[in-house]
Amino acid sequence: MSVAELKERHIAATATVNALRERLKQKRTLLLDTDGSSSCYSHFAGYARSQGRTPVSFGPTDLVCCRILQGHTGKVYSLDWTPEKNRIVSASQDGRLIVWNALTSQKTHAIKLPCAWVMTCAFSPNGQSVACGGLDSVCSIFNLNSPVDKDGNLPVSRMLSGHKGYVSSCQYVPDEDTHLITSSGDQTCVLWDVTTGQRLSVFGGEFPSGHTADVLSVSINGSNSKMFVSGSCDATARLWDTRIASRAVRTFHGHEGDVNTVKFFPDGQRFGTGSGDGTCRLFDMRTGHQLQVYHQQHAAADGEVPHVTSIAFSISGRLLFAAYSNNDCYVWDTLVAKVVLNLRSLQNSHEGRITCLGLSADGSALCTGSWDKNLKIWAFGGDRREI
Amino acid sequence: MKSLLTSMLPVGASIPHSQDEVEYSFAMEYHGPPVTYDLPRAVPIDIKRIPTATVVPPTSLSDKLSLPIAQPLIAPDPSSKNSKELTLGFDKIVSPTSVIAFHQRDRDGPDCGLSGEFSSSGTLAFSNGHDQSCELSVVVDGGSGALNLSNEHEGSQQLSGGIGISRTLECFSSRIESHELSGSSGAQRASNDCKESLDFLNDIDQPDWGSTESMQSSRFLSSEVSSCKDEDFNNDPPCHAKRTSIVTFLDAESSDTIHGDFSPVEGQAIQEQRGPETRPKKGACYRCSKGNLFTDKETCIVCNKKYCSNCILRAMGSMPEGRKCVTCIGLPIDESKRESLGKCSRVLKWLLNELEIQQIMKAEKSCEVNQLQAELIYVNRQQLCPEELILLQSCPKPPKKLKPGKYWYDKVSGLWGKEGQKPCNIISPNLNVGGAIMPNASNGNTRVSINNREVTKAELWMLQLAGVQCAGNPNFWVDADGSYQEEGQKNIKGHIWGKSATKLVCAVLSLPVPSKATNPCREEKALVDRPVPDYLEQRTLQKLLLVGYSGSGTSTIFKQAKFLYKSVSFSEDERQDIKLIIQSNVYKYLGILLEGRERFEEESQVEMKKNQSVEQSSALGNASEHDEKTIYSIGPRLKAFSDWLLKVMVSGNLEAIFPAATREYAPLVEELWKDAAIQATYKRRTELQMLPVVASYFLERAVEISRMDYEPSDEDILYAEGITSSNGLACMDFSFPHSGHFESIDTADQHDSLLRYQLIRVPARGLGENCKWLEMFEDVRLVIFCVALSDYDQFCDDGNEVLMNKMLASRKLFEIIVTHPTFKQMEFLLILNKFDLLEEKIEQVPLTSCEWFHDFNPVRSYHHSNSNTRSNSINNNNPSLAQLAFYYIAVKFKRLFASLTGRKLYVSLVKGLESGTVDGSLRYAREILKWDEGRENLSINELSYYSTEASSFSS
Repeated sequence: MSVAELKERHIAATATVNALRERLKQKRTLLLDTDGSSSCYSHFAGYARSQGRTPVSFGPTDLVCCRILQGHTGKVYSLDWTPEKNRIVSASQDGRLIVWNALTSQKTHAIKLPCAWVMTCAFSPNGQSVACGGLDSVCSIFNLNSPVDKDGNLPVSRMLSGHKGYVSSCQYVPDEDTHLITSSGDQTCVLWDVTTGQRLSVFGGEFPSGHTADVLSVSINGSNSKMFVSGSCDATARLWDTRIASRAVRTFHGHEGDVNTVKFFPDGQRFGTGSGDGTCRLFDMRTGHQLQVYHQQHAAADGEVPHVTSIAFSISGRLLFAAYSNNDCYVWDTLVAKVVLNLRSLQNSHEGRITCLGLSADGSALCTGSWDKNLKIWAFGGDRREI
Repeated sequence: MKSLLTSMLPVGASIPHSQDEVEYSFAMEYHGPPVTYDLPRAVPIDIKRIPTATVVPPTSLSDKLSLPIAQPLIAPDPSSKNSKELTLGFDKIVSPTSVIAFHQRDRDGPDCGLSGEFSSSGTLAFSNGHDQSCELSVVVDGGSGALNLSNEHEGSQQLSGGIGISRTLECFSSRIESHELSGSSGAQRASNDCKESLDFLNDIDQPDWGSTESMQSSRFLSSEVSSCKDEDFNNDPPCHAKRTSIVTFLDAESSDTIHGDFSPVEGQAIQEQRGPETRPKKGACYRCSKGNLFTDKETCIVCNKKYCSNCILRAMGSMPEGRKCVTCIGLPIDESKRESLGKCSRVLKWLLNELEIQQIMKAEKSCEVNQLQAELIYVNRQQLCPEELILLQSCPKPPKKLKPGKYWYDKVSGLWGKEGQKPCNIISPNLNVGGAIMPNASNGNTRVSINNREVTKAELWMLQLAGVQCAGNPNFWVDADGSYQEEGQKNIKGHIWGKSATKLVCAVLSLPVPSKATNPCREEKALVDRPVPDYLEQRTLQKLLLVGYSGSGTSTIFKQAKFLYKSVSFSEDERQDIKLIIQSNVYKYLGILLEGRERFEEESQVEMKKNQSVEQSSALGNASEHDEKTIYSIGPRLKAFSDWLLKVMVSGNLEAIFPAATREYAPLVEELWKDAAIQATYKRRTELQMLPVVASYFLERAVEISRMDYEPSDEDILYAEGITSSNGLACMDFSFPHSGHFESIDTADQHDSLLRYQLIRVPARGLGENCKWLEMFEDVRLVIFCVALSDYDQFCDDGNEVLMNKMLASRKLFEIIVTHPTFKQMEFLLILNKFDLLEEKIEQVPLTSCEWFHDFNPVRSYHHSNSNTRSNSINNNNPSLAQLAFYYIAVKFKRLFASLTGRKLYVSLVKGLESGTVDGSLRYAREILKWDEGRENLSINELSYYSTEASSFSS
């Protein structure tokens, strides 16, 4: 068989695969189109509206900025709450992790990182240690109780190295201080044993059902910590079972841009995604269907679509907080798919892009981190303690 | 009635004994022009006619920004805008808002008099129902303004009822709806956790968030808090407390920031602004106007405002620069407070935990704004620059308690004093700070001089008592150790501070004595290795980003920089890791060879069969199995090893078998390498695409490397692949050592030595169109883009399984990075690397084999230099073909850069394996940064010469 012949065959095979892919996509949209209207923007919101559901109403005082956490000298890239809800860890471009007491708005630790290019941080479930990862391709664990060295820096207590690309996101497995899942620019996610520093499983990579581009975000199911979902530059989100590393349980298509952020819905049955195509979507974990698209038409003159940088659900799931690259931060009513509030329009809103969002475990407060170097805590005023 | 009064009285006012004493001031008289619209009228509240709760029609809530608070009419100028808002406010009176005050009421219990009465419905709603929380509203008919009622009950206990009262009622059913969506688990939690989740809510309600018992780290006691909880939600700022008015309208200031009433941060800022004009009574808190001289308070280190324990955290926020009011952040501190920097007061200790205080104090001491400002310090009549101040402060013996002011400094002896005064200190000598010392620096009139400074009387006495001959107005040269000599004589006359008696005299005359004999060598060293403060480090660190397409040699340049500028380039541990990497690399190269061997064997077998069949056809038969063997065949033992190695490589865990493999297979490797088949394959290595060029360097020493006791040399490290973790980013801080003597003479370099550089090498992988992390490098000063000159005939897979010329791939990456928004205004330095390989290659493979270089058509002189000489120096009179190619490629990139950005591209020629060229290139980068700083666009560099030269043959 000559090389030319092989090449020809290869081209033909590629064409077949692409054609099949296209057919799959068509079939998928057909299946999703439950009411026959073939409009992909009216999944359940249309139904909800037809049932007389109205959007959650927001007064200007229902979400107020009650704390400003100042102290970073660079853009804030990531934040995480402790489960007991009063502490926050944040990672910034200034190469520091800061642990905040959210109640007093004071810092309790400022950790200078060996590699300043940090992209993500996470609090362990017991609140004793924090993890961070970034361009050094290593996930570093800091034990907050370890003694500081002579320069006053907290030493790294464990390095989780093995990724071949930047660490884009990390999250501790709920209620397990020893297990952590990271996502990386090397197209894989990894489940780590923190105590030994070993990789327990690698998700993706050489296996054909893995992501085909950088993985940007992971989210672990809160009600079943064996399941987690990952979002990637290949415009898909994939659902994984930590017990089955060899293949993704399901692949979720739909986005037309990088899936920048994924977050499980509070009930653990579905998850939300935020993408570079400017939309947020809600996917059902079990059926693999896209339930809803949250898309706001922008009257941008240059046709530039603002990316979704981060999302978070309120504790009931009724509200979806989504931060965009144009400094907007919408609060979506997930049920009727309407924007009910823009955080940018509130008093004391951030002056820069909001890069990370996080709800406290009890849902009573929202923390936002921004390029303006500050973190802000927003509390639900009025009669709604959480929604 | 009394309780009603209580509810209406402002903060701090005492309850009048009879109604007659109460002074009502509902509104000021309006003197402006007649208004065209109907004026709403204030109608007293009728408690009996409080409307009942109604369900809010949700559709009317579309305007989220409409405020629920009835806007007041501002008496002096009822601008039409305000009144419009006002009417709007009443149209949309159904906005859902909170009855914030009632949370508090909940805890205060039912003993709240009348205000309790009309809040009771709200209270009930909160304590009874979760699903339907009614809000109390007092509809002020015609709404002449939000009545700002503040209750005072039993002296200190106030109820912040102000805002909540002007609210509409609402039954909110969204929670029920949300249950439907989220399923039962979430909802269950939602209702169960109601009490817990009060924490944050309470924070809004009361700035001090007392009464949040569930809070862990808060040390507020709920009882304390209730004494001072109304500022933020009582629209009256504290300064109004002294007023006797009972019902106050929102004044103009607060109505401007009407949102702010609910957002503590803003409200706080307003109060801050008003601070100066409304000083509270002596000793009281600036925020809540309570307390007296004896209350524990904390002071702002900028503006001296004092806050009581309840207000500190509100007024100072997260204290990113220590104890400063939020509005004072970023301002320099009050110099009189410098002493107390980092010394914590009792109040804070009581409020916060130890870790938090540590962080605050650290921030206070170390943040840049709080440092002494160099401009305020003059040494020998010369203003200091920040670097000089750092030098002064970080020297082994810094001046004690340095304050802004004018000083003199005797650089020879280290004497230090205030201008016009006797010396007060002996600091490290020979610091390069300030100007030259003036003879009258210490304003002496004794005609006796020390190091050109006329000494004061006290010093003269000391000198006399120390036994120094002072007749005839001598000038002494005094050294740092106290040895002195008279001007014009060379012998040392003695030591001033040698005798203990002198020290006693000095103590009496309050003159300084050297602390102790310090070893000058040690001092010298300390001067070099002195730690740089964090904030200064941030400022003086110049970041250089090193990028390039994979295989362009960025890692070699990085390693070279490490060898060049680091005293310890690689630690012992790192060398161990490197050893393993090199060994596994050798196994990998061997694997590639073995793969090639199999291919060659197959090919030659096919070839042989062909020949045989030809032979057979002619000479019939005599084909034997033995002839199957070619020069590429190996024995069964090696074959087994070969199969194993290939298998390991395919499975991708070659790294995992180390270091065990070295122990076991070192002899086998030796045998294998010496095998004729492998050697034959190695001879045909040019046909093995996978084999990198450096492989031969290691393969030829395979036997040595695969041994257990192998120690990588610096050269090995330089050649080795994959050491500067190709996975992640690598960075190193360095400063250029003073090279040559002339540079150290240059005094301008004094400041340069403080300048530090950080070379950041990022992996090529992922540097693509949609690179997610390139924006993290917005603070770099210079991007060094690396291109391998030898790439012009190489091909790579661009990901879509289409082969692409590597030079074009490099160009594509270059375009992406140059046009990346992060690097819009960045300077670029192009390093054309691997010139040595180009020299080897260009004679065999024409440069035009890359389509981008199709018009490379050098005019060559007849007696061109022999390209095989590989001359290192660029001979401009007679450039070699490789040099011409370099100029040509440089111009190609320059033009591309200019067309993309309109700016100038700097180009440098490097041979990655020669440290001199790397050093030169990085120094060139430093020069670029310097030019960039001075904006002196001197086109003196040799490259402008290159470009003119080069343009002569580029079409």
